[in-house]
Amino acid sequence: MDIFLQIVISGLLLGGIYALISIGLNIIFGVIKIVNLAHGDFLMMAMYAAFFLFTLQGVDPFVSVFIIFPAFVLFGVFIFRVMIKPLLGTAETEVNTIIATAGLGFVLQNLALMLWKSDIRAMETSMTGQSYEFFGVMLSSGRTWAFVVCLIVALLLYYVLMYTKIGTHIRAVSQDTDAATLMGINVDKIYTLTFAIGIGLVGVAGAIIAPTYNMYPTIGLYFNTMAFIIVVLGGLGSFTGALIGGLIIGLVEAFAGVLASAELAQVFSLLIFLIILFIRPEGIMGKGARV
Amino acid sequence: MTEKVLIVDNISKRFGGLQATNQVSFHVNKNEILGIIGPNGAGKSTLFNLITGFYFIDSGSITYKGERIDGLTPDKICHKGITRTFQVARPFGGLSVADNILVACLPKAKKVSEARDRVHDVLEMVGLDKKADSLGADLTTLERKRLELGKALATNPEVLLLDEVMTGLKPQEMDEMMELIKELRKTKTIVVVEHVMRVIMNISDRIIVLDHGQKIAEGLPQEIAENPIVIEAYLGRGAKKDA
Amino acid sequence: MKPDKTPLILGILAIVLALVYFLPLQIYVRHILILTLLYAFLGTGWNLMCGYAGRLSLGHSAFVAVGAYTTLLLFKDFGITPWLGMLVGGVIAVIVMLLIAYPSFRFGVKGPYFTLGSIALAEIVHNLLIYFREYTGGSLGMSLPYKPTSLALFQFDGKEPYYIVILVFWLAAVFLTWKMERTRYYLEAIREDDDAAAALGISVNRNLIIAACISAFLVAIGGTFYVQYYRYIDPYSIAGFTLSLNIALVVVIGGSGTILGPTIGSFLIIPITEILRMTLGASMPGLHLFLYGILLILCIIFLPKGIVSLPGVIRARKAKKDGQLNQGAEGVL
Repeated sequence: MDIFLQIVISGLLLGGIYALISIGLNIIFGVIKIVNLAHGDFLMMAMYAAFFLFTLQGVDPFVSVFIIFPAFVLFGVFIFRVMIKPLLGTAETEVNTIIATAGLGFVLQNLALMLWKSDIRAMETSMTGQSYEFFGVMLSSGRTWAFVVCLIVALLLYYVLMYTKIGTHIRAVSQDTDAATLMGINVDKIYTLTFAIGIGLVGVAGAIIAPTYNMYPTIGLYFNTMAFIIVVLGGLGSFTGALIGGLIIGLVEAFAGVLASAELAQVFSLLIFLIILFIRPEGIMGKGARV
Repeated sequence: MTEKVLIVDNISKRFGGLQATNQVSFHVNKNEILGIIGPNGAGKSTLFNLITGFYFIDSGSITYKGERIDGLTPDKICHKGITRTFQVARPFGGLSVADNILVACLPKAKKVSEARDRVHDVLEMVGLDKKADSLGADLTTLERKRLELGKALATNPEVLLLDEVMTGLKPQEMDEMMELIKELRKTKTIVVVEHVMRVIMNISDRIIVLDHGQKIAEGLPQEIAENPIVIEAYLGRGAKKDA
Repeated sequence: MKPDKTPLILGILAIVLALVYFLPLQIYVRHILILTLLYAFLGTGWNLMCGYAGRLSLGHSAFVAVGAYTTLLLFKDFGITPWLGMLVGGVIAVIVMLLIAYPSFRFGVKGPYFTLGSIALAEIVHNLLIYFREYTGGSLGMSLPYKPTSLALFQFDGKEPYYIVILVFWLAAVFLTWKMERTRYYLEAIREDDDAAAALGISVNRNLIIAACISAFLVAIGGTFYVQYYRYIDPYSIAGFTLSLNIALVVVIGGSGTILGPTIGSFLIIPITEILRMTLGASMPGLHLFLYGILLILCIIFLPKGIVSLPGVIRARKAKKDGQLNQGAEGVL
């Protein structure tokens, strides 16, 4: 029973991290309806940013969030204006944004490679190797705090989306851009804002998880697949979906990792993903008909 | 001799809480023009969707030339001889107008060259021959409607289901369209859904009236125009007194 | 209707490329040509399903891997000639494709969902290849047992024979695409609006499945060529996302949904990539891919319909300029 509980808790903590990573993607995919293949690479960049802020300036990762979030939001605005916006609104938008973000992924990955080489970096913070004990279950401190941040971010986002004017505009645009335009909403501004926030959130995620993962320039690839599975599993356009999706995948991986090998665990997650695609592509929490 | 080409027998269709089609029965005679009218939301387009296999009926049967067609997919029904147009025109936006027609000609053509030879004639019939190279996406709403009709005609149907082809046309264009439809009647059977009363009254041999998914009247145009139930359905209870 | 210039262009290309065989070229030039034609071949296969039918797959490396590993294992463990192994690999790839394509099309999985599903498929194949390491060598990969030049065993010591083989494959694939005129039109209609296509008598599922299966078959053959040429494969490079992406890139940049688009894209991207890698790769790791990424982004922003659209774009710009000039003259008067 102890082991079972341990696995469950570990899985949930892992799930929280996955959810945090995917929230930014969920917003972009859900509102602008484009696939950002560079998502994982933005995450990687944020991890490095946190790493250097910590090792060179002594800024604790959880504090560096307040620097990284605005920086990444601005970065997001730039990327959207330069690269995404010119591609929107045509029949080839879907394909072209995928290609363009893939190109961006190359750019970011190799920028990191050029600047920081391929050596694996790891951060040693006050939390490294620490764990809390909770009724006989060990919780890794890094993951626990990441989970907490994830909840905070989720709640903040929920509040903004549901109770602020801008949040309502975002939700309107994600449901029907034509109707939103007719209501006087500047869809272009909303798209820019959404993309920027999405990138900002990825930045937050990267900073938070930096202490708990080794980093190297191509780590983005690993997180990308995971993030997309979670977003679809949980449901596009449903932010609670990203949470639930993350938790489920976290649990699946925790159990599968114990019962079978790492590769089979991945295969299992992927198969679940495919089945969801066939049966309920709107995900667990999603509404609306299939595409 | 009136041959009943299409027989719709007691069909119903439910979508969640909405009974979109409720025990509707009617038939269509060969080479006649059957008009279908009814207030908005009456279920006219749903009827077309059911007949052509885009939705499956919950109960009842649909028979075409003696053969059951309910349960068949749209492409098979088209091959049998029934083609429909869409109320909101659906051109193949990325293809040229000529290619749009070509695609429509292909399924029933043995060779691609055969299909190609027919394209120009179809374009002329609907007045789009000058726009052959324009992209489907670049057409005006009116041109799209013409293309929609052109694609349907290109499939050489025996039964043509026209869903509000008159919407947006100027009176003169409506007259031209009406003449075209009457001309088509010589070789085809036509079912027309319309809102424009003078069109329906003018071209239909018989009319059926739908309201809230049910057939509430059937008969000759004059009978329908004077039918109190129909008037009530369109104009509300108070109108009956004025009729 | 404009006359179809494709056979003419294709014929000229084929002759030029055949003549190239006889030129005294450096080995690395031959290598680049072989790689270019390989991607042109893979891209043409991909294009059928993804370009014409518009179901964007970023997981086609799964089929490359199926073709490669099937051929390699059948040869290594059973001594079966790679030519036969190639066909078997193709068939298995088709089966794998059916497993995912049939439910996808039946359940109407489209757009980004389809793309993500394809990525998932490739990852499944990737992971399974690593998991069954006793058979496949796991992440370390597997080598093709070396045999001196032998047509029967599809191995050659020099580059020239490989060039001929891939040239023939490529020509066959492009010719096949050109010949499938009716299916191409059906697929395009399905891509634009599958309900409208069905209403005209086009069997949506059947055409999609046909395109998907041919696509998988061709790409698997490409996988066989890959393993016979490189003599070594590993799950990361052959079932990885990068390969899938490169196949897609070559087609989209060249012009998706056109007969020669994949070839044109390949002839632009592959040589540039290889030259970048050879000149810059050593000096600063990552620089060549960095520039490659920027090139991609620029290409897609300025030519969203691919390189094949370039003549049209130039014509349109010229027409606009002429129009403006006329207006200016009138203004003066």
